[in-house]
Amino acid sequence: MTGPAIEIDGLSKRFGDVTAVDSVDLTVESGEIFGFLGPNGAGKSTTINLLLDFVRPTSGSASMLGLDVSKDRETLHSRIGVVPENYGLYDRLSGRRHVELAAKLKDADDDPDELLDRVGLSQEDANRAAGEYSTGMSQRLALAMALVGTPDLLILDEPTSGLDPNGARELRDIIRAENDRGVTVFFSSHILEQVEAVADRVGIMNEGELVAIDSIDRLRRQLDTGAQVTLDVDREPERNLGDIPNVRDIDVDDKTVRGTCVEPAAKLRFIDRVRELTTVTDVRIEESSLEDLFASYTGEDTTDSQTETVVPGGVA
Amino acid sequence: MSVRTIARKDLADASRSKALWAVTLIVLLSTAGITTLLAVTSDMAAGEVFTLSFQLAVTMLPIVALVLAKGALTAERESGSLRVLLSLPPSRRDVLVGKLLGRTALMLVATLISGFVTGLVVLTILDGTFGSLAAFIGFLGLMGVAFVAIGVGISAGSSSDSRATAVAVGAYMILVALWNLIQSAIQYGAVELGLMTEGSAPAWMKLVGLFPPNRAARAAYRNTVGGQLFGTDPFASVWLPVLVLLAWILVPVTIGYLRLREAQIG
Repeated sequence: MTGPAIEIDGLSKRFGDVTAVDSVDLTVESGEIFGFLGPNGAGKSTTINLLLDFVRPTSGSASMLGLDVSKDRETLHSRIGVVPENYGLYDRLSGRRHVELAAKLKDADDDPDELLDRVGLSQEDANRAAGEYSTGMSQRLALAMALVGTPDLLILDEPTSGLDPNGARELRDIIRAENDRGVTVFFSSHILEQVEAVADRVGIMNEGELVAIDSIDRLRRQLDTGAQVTLDVDREPERNLGDIPNVRDIDVDDKTVRGTCVEPAAKLRFIDRVRELTTVTDVRIEESSLEDLFASYTGEDTTDSQTETVVPGGVA
Repeated sequence: MSVRTIARKDLADASRSKALWAVTLIVLLSTAGITTLLAVTSDMAAGEVFTLSFQLAVTMLPIVALVLAKGALTAERESGSLRVLLSLPPSRRDVLVGKLLGRTALMLVATLISGFVTGLVVLTILDGTFGSLAAFIGFLGLMGVAFVAIGVGISAGSSSDSRATAVAVGAYMILVALWNLIQSAIQYGAVELGLMTEGSAPAWMKLVGLFPPNRAARAAYRNTVGGQLFGTDPFASVWLPVLVLLAWILVPVTIGYLRLREAQIG
């Protein structure tokens, strides 16, 4: 596979007068792990529903693995693995039966037990009806079904919801292992740390638009939210600190001095300056969190004058 | 390939539903029970008992068929398992046809059991022919399939299970429970409008009488037993009611498919 794994071209979807997805362009290269971020109702699910042909676009087109998502869906769906959002299982059928069903429909000869073992479901679990499964177990079973037929592309819509931290880590391990095998992974989440931990690149959706696409590092740099440096001091500095290059929002009180350092070297300059004036007893540095980054793209304080007034597409 | 896999899955899944079997059992027991009662207590001939029992069955079996079928797609749509199926290679048409086959098989099993039990009761207690038993089971089966198709069509065209249930109840009321009334209303209206004279029975009016699957099945049974298999009058024939039944199998499913094809599976 050399072509892009996912290619979205001017894709829009309107429900009545609500624009859920607004001319989105996106290319996901083969072999990457792409994190698809955005708050609930941002249009992530609608975008994925369009990719899966659950919903037809108002305009634009999309292809995966070089195949049109609607015209070539049957061929395409035999080569991808999907954990859809709000998926359901057959309560009365066993876990193994589910995987067997996926294998038959995909015309694959996977060993169901091997797949179930890979996602952490025991033989005993496999024999139980899916109706008795916990949310975490259901999520694992859905993943096992997605892995049937060694897909070239995995699409996981909110795969970590319902998983405990341990389960989420195991899921990341599986994602990495699949990626090492050459699989492209596209997964959505509204939980940033899940994406941060594995994704090569991320796209951020807000109000139906793709507002940013880049690596997490580059996005963070681009935003220059910087690092928050907090110094504990034994007395308030006698003089004003004055201007320090690349340090903003300096805040002084009788116990601490705070400043936001926009580039790495500024941290040392900031600490040195404070030490000239008082005694530093402790240093704490907080890198800008992805939450801040995320909020700056999706929060109300973004001043993007070009943003059209779009009603958030609250379509599941 | 996909269709068969889905049909088999559906059969395995639906046949594990206890509620479904409970409804089926109640209906079947009441039909077979009343027939037995008739056969034992009355001094009617086997043919008459069959006819009465057929009349009873065409009123009861549609309930089983609709209950069995109306959730075929809406239940999967609501639980989200339809999203899983459609993430896999099968198309919406594959899923619909697979579901139709699965539920049809289930309905045929239920009809065969009930028809056979009822028929054997009549045959052992009274003196009947196996020919009339075959017609009895055959046309009940065909009618059952028609109502399953109506139910699956309703299910495919509905966005929620409660809506499918409401439409299915409506279909039963119109086609089975209230058709006599509707037919009279049409007749009265037609006479008022001068489309026909009172007491006459034009062909289209006869067709109105034959329209619901249960009526068509009864006509087909009566005409078969009456030995008019190859009669010249279409309304006394077997082929016309059978044609009506086949239309009931094809049309609702097609309409349901067209609606499902355009549906947002959100």
